[in-house]
Amino acid sequence: MQPGTDPGAGAFDATARVADRLRWFFLPLALCALVAVGVHTAADVLGELLLRMVDAADAAFDSLASRWAFTAPLVDLVGPSQRVFFARGVALLWELAADALLALPMLGYDERGDEVQRFRELAAKAWARPTTLHLVGPFATGAVALAGSCAVGRLLEGTLHFGLRGALGSAADALAHGCALAAVLGLVGFIAWRGVVHALVRADARSDRIPGGRARRFTAGLPAAVLLLPLAVAALRAAPLLSFLR
Amino acid sequence: MRRARSLADVVLAALCLWAAWYHTPPGALLRAAVARLTGTRDPTPALLSYYGAGARPFQLAEPLPPRAALSPGAALGLGAQSALERLSPAERAEVLSGAGLRSGSADALGDWIGREADKQGSREAAVLSLFCGEEAARFARQRASGPGLEELARQLPPRYEDRVALAATALTLGTAYALAWPLPDSAQVTSPFGVRAHPLLGGRRLHSGIDLGVSIGTPVRAVADGLVRRASDDRVSGRLVLLDHGSGVSTVYCHNESLLVSPGDAVKKGQVIALSGNSGLSTGPHLHYQLDLPQGPADPLRFRAARPPQLASGGTEP
Repeated sequence: MQPGTDPGAGAFDATARVADRLRWFFLPLALCALVAVGVHTAADVLGELLLRMVDAADAAFDSLASRWAFTAPLVDLVGPSQRVFFARGVALLWELAADALLALPMLGYDERGDEVQRFRELAAKAWARPTTLHLVGPFATGAVALAGSCAVGRLLEGTLHFGLRGALGSAADALAHGCALAAVLGLVGFIAWRGVVHALVRADARSDRIPGGRARRFTAGLPAAVLLLPLAVAALRAAPLLSFLR
Repeated sequence: MRRARSLADVVLAALCLWAAWYHTPPGALLRAAVARLTGTRDPTPALLSYYGAGARPFQLAEPLPPRAALSPGAALGLGAQSALERLSPAERAEVLSGAGLRSGSADALGDWIGREADKQGSREAAVLSLFCGEEAARFARQRASGPGLEELARQLPPRYEDRVALAATALTLGTAYALAWPLPDSAQVTSPFGVRAHPLLGGRRLHSGIDLGVSIGTPVRAVADGLVRRASDDRVSGRLVLLDHGSGVSTVYCHNESLLVSPGDAVKKGQVIALSGNSGLSTGPHLHYQLDLPQGPADPLRFRAARPPQLASGGTEP
């Protein structure tokens, strides 16, 4: 150690250097985790919609199956008791499909120094030649990343609040709230937007491969849109951003 | 500057992974695997219980038999008492002392929940307060966007999973205890709940409700406030209505002559929702009345003090 060097500052510098070298590893992992948490948060609030869908499908199935003696016993297959189980099963499958489309690709995130510039260029290109893919992926990623940030913030707030309350009393409330707000802002400002950029990069690459005219550009991403847009809307509903500011 | 930002990114990444451990299906599977490998108890509920669809994770509890007709408050008290039976004596004493209660009787718990509901703003928050503590209920209530237990539970850290499940159990049982009866008490039980030889489809099957013999055209009433989830017609169950009463409790009314409600309708306790009949696969006019809890169909008579008259033979109506 050189004379006059603060050992604390040295350790901080060394840790920061290691962190900087490992960005290629932990940033994709963080993005994947954040989007997956957001997707789960959104799937959690889809329960009501899914229950309605399962009830309607069950009524239609029962009406059909009850017409013939050999299929009549199938009417009991999805009884009222199993409807919640089925709704939850559909929610799980929906979540896993959305994870495959949104969260897993985040593992391929490749950070560049000019991310803001890259975003601007891709957004301008998408504006000039829009496709469904251009809109759905980045919008859904942004929505679930926002919901994920709020879920992380709430988890941190709850854990700090109840963990420190014994030692700090009511001050734990303010500390937990401040940390949660900082975490949400940090996640949105440092992590979540990178997910949107990466989703835009992927959507752009796939859009470039779409042959044909405007109709093809519109239909190419429709299946993904059907899967992801309800989830994105649910994610925005499940993101209590304002509750962190109260 | 870049290095400082890298440090901040590491911290944020760690937070994301920590949240994923608790809030994703792979995280739940990993937690279960780690608990199995280390031989520790895993408080993680079943994977599918993570998705809100009417009820939070439910802990199977044996409902205590009601001794008399119950008011909604007393019903919730008995539900809480049944859920408390799941705890060890020491844990039960801790819950009761936390609430400042000397007795864990249904009446005492019902009174306490009623007072707490006035303070917390909803019975869900009151039950949460009983099982998780007043501070946890206050924390959840201030951050939740609605009064439902699911929404309240989403605000709490994972350490409360077990207690939230008990609160859900208390609410479910309390809701079931408060149900009225769909027909006049004089209606005879012609086929009870349980496994039986099916008179028309053959084989031994669970009769998932009870059959009440009544003449065609008898008004069928909603047993509690609720939402019509289904009003449909098929050749097995006939014209049926499914009501969702919240807290994981739903009731089904089959073989009606006509339905007076539609899916999405909100109904009030005692409202006539159908006229009984003989539709679907049926050997005679009757109402098939079914009570469903998160664990599956339950015998409605277990939640009722008054016993309707039963056929001596046990009956065989489908």
